Amino acid sequence: MCEEVGDGPRDLVKLTYDKLSTEEVSEAVTCPSCGAISIFIGTTRNNFQGKKVLRLEYEAYEPMAQSELRKIYGDIRRRWPTVRHICVHHRLGVVPVTEASVIIAVSSPHREDALQAVHYCIDTLKASVPIWKKVGTQNKRYFQLGGYGKSEIYDTDECCWKQNKECEWA
Amino acid sequence: MTTEVTVLYFAKSAELTGVKSETVRVPSSLTSFELWGSLVQAHPKLSEILGQVVLAVRQEYVTLGDQCVSLQNGDEVAVIPPLSGG
Repeated sequence: MCEEVGDGPRDLVKLTYDKLSTEEVSEAVTCPSCGAISIFIGTTRNNFQGKKVLRLEYEAYEPMAQSELRKIYGDIRRRWPTVRHICVHHRLGVVPVTEASVIIAVSSPHREDALQAVHYCIDTLKASVPIWKKVGTQNKRYFQLGGYGKSEIYDTDECCWKQNKECEWA
Repeated sequence: MTTEVTVLYFAKSAELTGVKSETVRVPSSLTSFELWGSLVQAHPKLSEILGQVVLAVRQEYVTLGDQCVSLQNGDEVAVIPPLSGG
């Protein structure tokens, strides 16, 4: 048990427009008595529904996102009591392809609880935290010029709001 | 009796209404479906997302239905389209 003075269990949440740092999230949950830190990083994929993704753009109902995340933390601590520190950083605004939109880290003395808690955290975040992402995709058409092969035309980019399958009202 | 609440619109609902935030006067006790109805009355395009929307009242989710919602001056209501965080 980690009983150092001033080092109680930490429940950390950050919503930011800045680029996320895995190192920062990992350091936030590091604890001398914990042998495991489990980290999940969600990144922007370059494809969505068969189209090329140009960007994701996130918005949040920030105070409620904070309170819903803290409810998830309460669930985690009840189900996996050995969990020590929990940290979620979620990016808002535009997130370019391959960059992280969410990083979740959990520390525990042994790896099983941290691994399961992180899995639970991302699944429940997708179902219950009021954050939305708009997916900007490229609409590409082709036309044939005589016998000279295909040329590409780029229409105006499309945007649509994604819906998580985990969300009950999707 | 009526009360004045702040309504926040997010994602698709903000695009449909053209606003992110407004103050509205509604009955201080009504069903969640009636509350939704008063928002649709002011913004008819919101009806596009019926069936794929819930509300949040004082930052707690409320599904559209018969449940009674009690509102006080200054309470915050939010229109919540399907989530896509993470």
